[in-house]
Amino acid sequence: MAGRRYAPIRDYAVIGDGRTVALVARDGRIDWLCLPNLDSPSVFAGLLDADRGGYFELCPDVPFEVQRRYVPGTNVLETTFVTADGIVRVTDAMTLPGVGLSPVRELARRIEGLAGRVPLRWRVEPRFGYASAATRFVSRGAWAVAVNGGDALAVCAWDAGRPTSEEGAIAGGVDIAEGGRAMLALVSAHGEPLVFPPRRDVEARLDATTAFWGGWSARLRYAGPWRDPVLRAALALKLLVFAQSGAIAAAATTSLPEGIGGERNWDYRYCWIRDSSFSMEALLQLGCPAEATSFFWWFMHATRLTLPRLQVFYRLDGGAYAPERTLPLEGYRGSRPVRIGNGAAGQLQLDTYGELLDAAFVYADKGYSLDASTGRDLARVADFVCEHWRDPDAGIWEVRAAPRHHTQSKAMCWVALDRAVRLADAGHLPRARAPRWRAEAAAIRRFVDTQCWSTAKDSYVGYAGGEDLDASLLLMAIMRYDDPDSPRLRGTVEAIRRELSRGPLLYRYTGDDGLAGGEGAFLCCSFWLAEALAIAGRREEAARLMDELIGLANDVGLYAEEIEPASGEFLGNFPQGLVHLALVSAAVALAPTAS
Amino acid sequence: MSAGAALLGGFIGTLVLTTTLTAASALRITRMDIPFLLGTAWTEDRTRARVLGYALHFVAGLMFALGYYAVFVTLGRAGWLLGMALGLVHGLFAGTTLVNVLLPAVHPRMGTPFSASNATPLLEPPGFMLLNYGRATPIVTVLGHAVYGAIVGVFVAAGGR
Repeated sequence: MAGRRYAPIRDYAVIGDGRTVALVARDGRIDWLCLPNLDSPSVFAGLLDADRGGYFELCPDVPFEVQRRYVPGTNVLETTFVTADGIVRVTDAMTLPGVGLSPVRELARRIEGLAGRVPLRWRVEPRFGYASAATRFVSRGAWAVAVNGGDALAVCAWDAGRPTSEEGAIAGGVDIAEGGRAMLALVSAHGEPLVFPPRRDVEARLDATTAFWGGWSARLRYAGPWRDPVLRAALALKLLVFAQSGAIAAAATTSLPEGIGGERNWDYRYCWIRDSSFSMEALLQLGCPAEATSFFWWFMHATRLTLPRLQVFYRLDGGAYAPERTLPLEGYRGSRPVRIGNGAAGQLQLDTYGELLDAAFVYADKGYSLDASTGRDLARVADFVCEHWRDPDAGIWEVRAAPRHHTQSKAMCWVALDRAVRLADAGHLPRARAPRWRAEAAAIRRFVDTQCWSTAKDSYVGYAGGEDLDASLLLMAIMRYDDPDSPRLRGTVEAIRRELSRGPLLYRYTGDDGLAGGEGAFLCCSFWLAEALAIAGRREEAARLMDELIGLANDVGLYAEEIEPASGEFLGNFPQGLVHLALVSAAVALAPTAS
Repeated sequence: MSAGAALLGGFIGTLVLTTTLTAASALRITRMDIPFLLGTAWTEDRTRARVLGYALHFVAGLMFALGYYAVFVTLGRAGWLLGMALGLVHGLFAGTTLVNVLLPAVHPRMGTPFSASNATPLLEPPGFMLLNYGRATPIVTVLGHAVYGAIVGVFVAAGGR
């Protein structure tokens, strides 16, 4: 295998098809791919165990430099390898069905010689079931196939060297001269026969996939500054939309650490109601009603087993059961445990209700219909908030310490009831319940304004009776808990900048969270700050901050969950939806039409 | 044995089956909702979809009852036990093929395992044995169909005396 063990998280780009994603490192190696779906067991998990996890390597067999970009407006990645004797370009995509008989999943890697001659090597080490399942290698005509029970994976190579099975891998190599073209396709099957596609179909699907993404992004409505970063964020979000159901995954990976060597490693391949509600609003802001409607239908169906209580997250297939367990993998740069499932599922996180009802409000406000059945269900959610806002909860950061009266949770309960009242006033929810919602909203406001305010800090604080600050309080401005330029919210923004910032970055909170070790700065909080400044009328400050934050993206415009302020190293799961949608929301707030 | 008895049994059996599934949904045992799945093939309005779906489900229930009747006639006997056995097979067929494979293939608003970024379906696919709609869904569905079959069997047997 190649010399390196773990690539920096910053080095990854993402490709996907709305069913699963692959992470491609700058050196052309694919270190993460779950099949058949985003939340299925991995086939490549070199990201989490460099020795045993599995990968798909494709790079020159001589020293090289790398230039990389997405084909503009698409989720199709171009990696250009420059060597002493030539230049070769690799175009990577998870292809979309629609041309010919498509395999269940297909990852296409087109190779084009641009100058001189470049010797390339490629090697596929599939490791099914998070590297825990036995893999058998067989030949099917010209193609090499890896099999594990009902799962199979074939490597099809055209002008890329004959695939050979060796030492638990399928490998090959080829010299590509200027003008030369080759194609590698990784095709998979799940409980059905493998499809061995002809080359022309793979080429056509790759071209059609590029055209689809170009058309999709061309339809986005955004005319403000930072257009390219906004489009990239939207394209990244679209990759997290699970097409089968409309659920939106929080991120594409599990257990990328929030601190190298630490235990803060979580599985984000689920649909958090909070993140998805924000995503839905971002997609609506960008003119993507189909995705927003699809998510809304998914939500109404997925929550049928738990309504009016909302689980913190649901599986992408709508299931509510995702027990947390650890895998015997090394972890990214030794960061253990590697977890799948997520123990936060059973927590009470009251802010979720506010985010959902706000998303419903935005949805209806944009002119999309909420039918009577949906209205009744949302009314039950509002009633639930009335009954439970006084309970302590785990808060937006799902801390694993004892539940507290988190200020942001209470404020979002107010948002929930405020939006319920407004929806009722507009005839979407039963009007008879509105007086109760109004009364409870007023009670919440009294609680927040008396119990969660620190005169000493001139700021709201993280939880009732405490003095610790929390960057999630920025959402109080964004969600219009009060006028964003009110003295209290202005004081809160300043206190957060004073105590939690490191340059343009913000840490989430101060104080104990029940876990050992530290973490990086939380990128979405910085975008929230930019948005809070923008809507408070401090647009120049906000724009300067946006410029700095945009500059922190990796070479293809993507972000992980966190960033280490001193080194700029990415930390946490990648790409994380919340960061990208916070970017979109902040940019929209700064767009000329929003002034 | 008479076709009329089979149709009456099919009507009552469908009533019981639909009520069982609706009750199971209300009790948060499953998200399986056959009328909703059938109705949304025709309309995006959730309330209208349920009403339409109930009608379609009853039509389907009557047609399946005629199928059961044909089996009873072929075998030359009928009864609740044989009906229940047919219902079990029917339930398994629904979970593995009818609702899992065939319905997503024709339902314009339902995703399939092959739906990708170039599609935005509104309904999640049921999955094998309808497990996407809750872990207890296969049990409820198969038992519901078994009861349906038993009712049809009873009516057909009674109609022959």
